[in-house]
Amino acid sequence: MNSYRARARQLSRFVLLPLLAGLAAPAALAVPSFARQTGMACEACHTVWPELTHFGRVFKANGYVLDNLKQVRGVTAQKEEILSLSNLPPLSIMVQASFTQYATAQPDVTGRTQNGTVAFPQQVGLFYAGKIAPHVGAFLQLTYGYDSGSIGIDNTDIRFADLKVLPGEQTLTYGLSLNNNPTVQDIWNTTPAFGFPYATSKIGSGFGAASKIDGAFAQSVAGLTAYAFWNESLYGELGMYRSAKQGTAGPLSSTTTGGVLAGTAPYWRLAYEHNWGRNTIEGGLYGATFKEFPDFGAGFGQELTGPSDRYQDVAEDVQYQYVGDQHLFSVLGTRIHEKQTLNASINAPATATVPIPANLENDLTTVRAYGTYYYRRKIGATAGFFRTTGSSDAGLYAANSTPKPDTSGWIAEINYVPWLNTKFSVQYTAYSKYNGASDNYDGSGRKAGDNNTLYILAWLSY
Amino acid sequence: MRQLVLAVCSLLCALGVGATRADDVDAFTKEHAARIAVGTCGICHGPAGVSKQPKYPLLAGQNANYLAAQLKAFRSQTRGDADAIGYMWGMSATLEDGTIDALSQYYAGQAAGTGRAGDSALVARGREIYQKGIEDVGVPSCATCHGPDAHGLADFPRLAGQHAQYVLKQLGSFQNNMRNVAVMHGVAQGLKVDEMRAVAAYLEAQP
Repeated sequence: MNSYRARARQLSRFVLLPLLAGLAAPAALAVPSFARQTGMACEACHTVWPELTHFGRVFKANGYVLDNLKQVRGVTAQKEEILSLSNLPPLSIMVQASFTQYATAQPDVTGRTQNGTVAFPQQVGLFYAGKIAPHVGAFLQLTYGYDSGSIGIDNTDIRFADLKVLPGEQTLTYGLSLNNNPTVQDIWNTTPAFGFPYATSKIGSGFGAASKIDGAFAQSVAGLTAYAFWNESLYGELGMYRSAKQGTAGPLSSTTTGGVLAGTAPYWRLAYEHNWGRNTIEGGLYGATFKEFPDFGAGFGQELTGPSDRYQDVAEDVQYQYVGDQHLFSVLGTRIHEKQTLNASINAPATATVPIPANLENDLTTVRAYGTYYYRRKIGATAGFFRTTGSSDAGLYAANSTPKPDTSGWIAEINYVPWLNTKFSVQYTAYSKYNGASDNYDGSGRKAGDNNTLYILAWLSY
Repeated sequence: MRQLVLAVCSLLCALGVGATRADDVDAFTKEHAARIAVGTCGICHGPAGVSKQPKYPLLAGQNANYLAAQLKAFRSQTRGDADAIGYMWGMSATLEDGTIDALSQYYAGQAAGTGRAGDSALVARGREIYQKGIEDVGVPSCATCHGPDAHGLADFPRLAGQHAQYVLKQLGSFQNNMRNVAVMHGVAQGLKVDEMRAVAAYLEAQP
């Protein structure tokens, strides 16, 4: 056990920690091609990107199709429209460059890593974001990341949507979303895919253990969901996700890396939004149940039959926005609770190279809340709080000196937005607890506060 | 000042502010415009021109010629208040004259709202300013151009029932000359913010 703990600690320090940090970094949603397509400034859809206004949420629910460009049209002899193609393709490019500094450099096998990391570029994103045809639109992102050194598919959301006017002039927007990340299709910024922090360092310490709906399946699943948005207030959505791995032609097998969903995973969402004056308030629930054949590591893979691990995620979210001409203010929060039943992992081979849980059942709860203020959409600040707590499990968290997943802390960020498509941020993340403890969390004397991270970011979209 | 405004208003009425009238349009254009009104404009202004958010003006029952003139001003980028630039310049960019006329008729044909009661003291102060103006600082009666019931006259817009927040913002835009309307720039110059609030509250309360 001791040698496994030592191995697990090393794995945690040099592999899992940066990996989790990478998973925790959401991709961008703020695309000038939408502005070009609609002819409206970014402020119509965003307070400051990527946070959506009510109009932005309605634009997304309507399938990204609102359009004011001249069209190449095709009609039949019966005047039936068979083509409506924008003259200008809705393409955008996004560049991020960043600098990251730890309070204390991360350890490596011979001492300490270099502190002060420049990422240039951190990411370059190419987007197709806009209308494809009447009632059909897409948000599709290809991203080059300096950490991977390659280009890969990023968040993708292809939509069909239509709108009906009901008696009493109530509206019903309904549609389908084909997407690759649970919650990427959601229209509030409280859910994981487009929640705060909107950008984080690729080498930052991240937020420790996370529930499955909190980014674990980003870009490795495909989901089809159906939604309805009644009177721009009551929103309901149901859908299913199935593994759709990148970099393998399939069929998925025991050699597939990273865990495979057993069958399909149901996803659901219910939310209500009320608007008055310049104010908007939203409260909602969302969740999914994932059954996964876990990856037991190199040389083991996963059996794609038999028992699977079950992760039942249920979350609440709330959002308040005040969108004034001079002052803009938002408070957003979510709490995700995950119940884990680890029928497969608990029976992993003893020599597996991944942590083997000691408990059949575990809980994991994440709370995130933050408030943002902007003055004239030019200068703003955000303060946020994050906390993950969960069951003690001597196997799953063997790499931690205290076998718990607990991570908590604060994030503060100052943003300067000289133009609506350019943003410069200084972000500081302070940890009060990391991977189960405040002090000596890794058994080698490292404190949670050693991971405090200064992150400076230039974020440009065109 | 009062005489000058009256004279200018009368002249503008006689000449017709909207150079092109929102005349009859064919059935195909009407149907096309109704689709745009529901599917595009309706996102902000409501499918029948009754917007829920006070940032966006109520269009139901609005004077068709006024609407057509405004849409053309957005399209030609001559109306320059911040929301016009941010929203309406783009939204109107590809509208053809026939569609503008059909859209204007669509909204003119929708039932106007019944108004929303506000603070009674504020509404009373607003009524006084609206009906009589403020003689001391040369603010004329609004009723002269917009009608005693604020339903609009000739090419001058209906104001009755309009969101107070929107009216207040437009008065500010006239005062700053962002909307580039000489008459209203002159009228709004003499108004203080609390007086604008009173007029806006009065108008919002009118059926």
